Parts: sequence; structure tokens; C-alpha cells
Amino acid sequence: MITVKGVVKRFQNETAIRYRDMVFEDGKSYMLLGASGCGKSTLLNMIAGILSPEEGSILIGDEDMTKKSQKEKDKFRIERIGYIFQDFKLIPEMTVMDNINILRLERVDTSGADGTLAALGMLDKKNKKVKHLSGGEKQRVAIARAIVKKPEIILADEPTGNLNFEIGEAVIRQLMEISRGKTLIAVTHDERLAKYFDCTVDMNEVTGGDGNV
Amino acid sequence: MFKFALKNMAIKRAKIILIVISIVISASVAILAYNVSEQVDDGVKSTAAYYDMIIGPSGSSTQLAMNTMFFTEAPLGTISYEYVEALEKDMRVNLVVPFTMGDSYNAAKIVGTTPDFLTDKELDEGEMFDATYEAVLGAAVAERYGLSVGSKMVTSHGLSEGGHAHEATPLTVVGILDKTKTAYDNVIFTDVETVWATHDHSGEGEHEHEEHGEICAILVKSKSFNSYSQLKSEYSEKSGLLVINPSEVLREVLENVDMSSQIVYILCIIILIMNIFIISVITLLNMYDSKKEIALMRLIGIGMNKINLLYIIQNGIIGLISTLLAFGASRLCLSLMGGYVASMGIVLDTARIYSMELVIMAVVFVISVLPTVICTLNMSRKDGIGES
Repeated sequence: MITVKGVVKRFQNETAIRYRDMVFEDGKSYMLLGASGCGKSTLLNMIAGILSPEEGSILIGDEDMTKKSQKEKDKFRIERIGYIFQDFKLIPEMTVMDNINILRLERVDTSGADGTLAALGMLDKKNKKVKHLSGGEKQRVAIARAIVKKPEIILADEPTGNLNFEIGEAVIRQLMEISRGKTLIAVTHDERLAKYFDCTVDMNEVTGGDGNV
Repeated sequence: MFKFALKNMAIKRAKIILIVISIVISASVAILAYNVSEQVDDGVKSTAAYYDMIIGPSGSSTQLAMNTMFFTEAPLGTISYEYVEALEKDMRVNLVVPFTMGDSYNAAKIVGTTPDFLTDKELDEGEMFDATYEAVLGAAVAERYGLSVGSKMVTSHGLSEGGHAHEATPLTVVGILDKTKTAYDNVIFTDVETVWATHDHSGEGEHEHEEHGEICAILVKSKSFNSYSQLKSEYSEKSGLLVINPSEVLREVLENVDMSSQIVYILCIIILIMNIFIISVITLLNMYDSKKEIALMRLIGIGMNKINLLYIIQNGIIGLISTLLAFGASRLCLSLMGGYVASMGIVLDTARIYSMELVIMAVVFVISVLPTVICTLNMSRKDGIGES
């Protein structure tokens, strides 16, 4: 279970987002909807330990992410969170497998990579350089890298943001299939994809910006 | 980690090759300059150390030393052979070797001496001269003029080509020296008597350099330092004689050469500093380019310790390869320079390594890795990813 309690995030331009309290239950999929700047991606980054809130706490199970050092957050993220980035965050000059095997630097077991890629229809492209793949294929590689370590939580920031609707829908279907039983929190602008998620959270209703927090 | 580092380097191979070339050029110049300077210094000192005194006619000390040790320049003139006979009877002397020079065969100078002059040299074929008109050749002379044991040579007067030919008294080759890669390779050795007989026979007695009973210099090895001091003092007082200690004279020559090598050193240091700057800038730019890659790795959860280690391994490999290549390049240049330096009488040994060379290599290695360590440690100090 992920509990967001009293969280406030300030930015360098002194604007701030105050989040209302939220709870994400284990094994359920959540779709975060909302206008740009309402703090969807920031929330994912705080859950993942990439950003830290100035106030409040984010509990994952009984572990408070806001109390951890950056090193502890990194360790937690690599071990327990699969993060799918909007812009894929892949090394273009490396092959699909190398982009997945980069996790081995932290001794993550990637032996299931072939199976994961097969499930995403990407096995035949595992030795191709990422720069030679289409946007949809890159997103599948990013998904494969996020879930190959069998994380408890999957965070997806605009996983269909760079794809057209048909490809995006196919990617979401595969993501839902492959992440069944895990906690999935996805940020998207596209309300048409809401039918694939257990819950939809309108972030416009749970956040507020005042610039003077 | 190592495998991933290699893969990551393969991606950036063009940039890495440029870095390696830059390091190799600067480091090999520094290593080469130091090695050559040290070997030339050692070579000159060891050549000069065998004899403690050279006696010749009055004139330039350097000319006398260079003429008798390395066969360069012309002899100063002649002195009487009676001095040799006197020294041979002197109990304070271990070895006396007469030295005369005045004839040539094509471009090869002919030295009139005794077999003692070649004591530390090995014969490749044949035997040492022990009769008049017999000669032993330096290896390069035999090779250059296609001479072998039994060949006859018509020598000519003077140290350059075009002199009067001694057709009536040809020399017979009786031995050929092993290749020494020193000035000895380019010289013909014969008995002093041969030089005198050649000129007596051709009626050239009027020539100052080759008169019977005259020689150009005497090389002396004293029994002790006391003996040397006494002999030097005695012979220096004799009119028309110059007595030198070859080590002292060559040391003076080296001091002048040292001035030049100091300039070379300074230039090398400037080049090295410039290259340190260039290497550091290239490495830092490389790290700047890698910032995106590092940010990506951090986002997916790779710890900064692992990232540091990855980049240190990568730059360590670059540094190691560059350093080893620089050493190899310095040895290649050393062997290419060998022939040129050998003509001055010094053998450059490519297998000879000085401890300072290892220090230079270690410094180059550290310079190649240090900017990365500083850069990654600087990144590590920043806690947080998104904000940094």
C-alpha cells in the first residue's frame, strides 16, 4: 500500500503543489489524470524517490520514502519499483538487451528478459540497437526493463505520450497484462485509456497550487 | 561491470581513440626524451671510463677525446712513439695503447693501434691482426663495401675520399668485428706499424701525420689514482703535450649537451602540461556528455557508487591502454633512432627501462583517471536526482 500524507512539493520558481492525502492499494491499477502542471509526474517521482517533498510523508508499506537517504531511495527503487519513463530513458547506441542488462550493475537478476521481451513481442529485436527502433518498440523496451526485475510497484509516466492512440492502446493492454497482480500507477492525458485501469484519480481534485506554501 | 564498461566504451570509440592518441603522443615524447638522454649519458660515461688518461699533441681537449673515443673529428697532430715505449716500461701503468689515424678506405677511417685497443670487442669471423698490412674491419665497413676475410683493400691518404692511393701496399682483411652498433662498426683497425710502413713505402715521409715513429695519441690505463695523478702531472709538464682525463672532458661536453637536453626537457614539460590540460578538458567534456547517461542510470536506480566505479573503470582502461601504447611508441622511436645515435658511438638499448619512465607512466595514468574521479565524486556529493 502506498500512502501519500500531507505532501507539499516546492519548486525553484517558488510555486508549490500541496497534495491531498491519497492511498494506493496493493495489486490495483491507478490512472492519474489531470492538466499539465497539476503534479502527476512529480507525485510519481516522489513515490520513486527521485524527488523529495518538502513536507509530508510517502509510505510504501511501512517504509517512509521521505526519511530515506538518496542511496537508500536508489536501492529501494532498483529493487522494488519498476519505472516507465515518458521519454523511455534508454541508451540509443546500445542494444535492447544491453539496455535491460544495465540493471545488472546493481546485481538485478535480468535472466527473465527473454520471456518479458517475448511477452511484449520484442524478442526478435533484442540484439537491435535502440536507435533503430520505432517509438512503440522503444516504449515496450522501457516496459520490459521496468518489469523484468518483477517489482511490487510499477510507475508509468505518460507511457503512451509519444505514441499514436492505436499503438498506445496496444502498449497499455500489454502493460496491464504483464503487470497483473502488481500495484500500477500510470499518468496519462488520454481519458480513452481509463477503461483499462481499476481506478482513475483526477489529480486536479487532489492537488492545489498557491505559490505561497 | 567490466563487460558493461567495455560495451559503453565501444559506443564512444571515436572519441576514445582521439583521447588515447592525445595521451600517447604526449606521454611517449616525455618517456622517449628521458630515456635517450639517460642512455646517451650512460653510454658516453662508460666509453670514457676505460682509460683514465689520453696523451696527445697540444690543442683541443674535446677534439682529442672525441677523436680517440668516437673516431670523430681529425687528430690534433702527432707525438713521438718514444712516449709509448717510456710508458710501457713505467711500473705505474697497466695498459698503454698507441693510436694513430690518417688514412682511409673510401669513407671508412683507418686506425693504427694494437690489438689491446679491441680487447673488449668480439670477432665475428677471422682473427686479430698481428702482422703488417693486416686489418680488422668494423661490421658496417665489411657490409658496406662487400669485404670479407682475405679481401684486399687499397687505402688512400687522408681521412676523406680522393686522397693519394697506397696501391703498392694494400691491406688484407684478416678479421671482421661483431656488430657493436657503435662507432667501431665504421672503422678499420690495423697495426701502427702498418700505417708507418704504408707511408714509408710510398715515400710520404714528409707528411706530418704518418711519419715513422709518430702517432696521434696514447691511451693509458694507470694502476692507481696516485699513479694517474703523478703521470698526468709529469706528462702535462712536457712541452707540446696535452694530457686529458677522457671522463672529465666528456663530462664537460655532456654538460653542454645537458643545456640542450634541458631545453628539450622544458619543451617536453610544456608539451606534457598542454596535453594534461587537453586530456583533462577532453575527459571533462566526455564526462559532461555522459551526464545525460549518468542521469538516466540514476533515474532507473543505479547507485552513484556503481556509476563512479563504471566511469573509473572506463577511464582506467583508457589510461592503461594509452600508457602502454605510449611506452611501446617510445620504444619504437628508440629503435628507429638507434642507428643515428650508434653512429656517434652510443648503443640505445630498447629493453632498458629507467625508474623515472615508470613514474612518467604512472603520472600519465593518474592524469587520465583523475578528472573522472573528481567529476563523479562531485556528482555523488549532490543528494537527490531530479533537483541536481
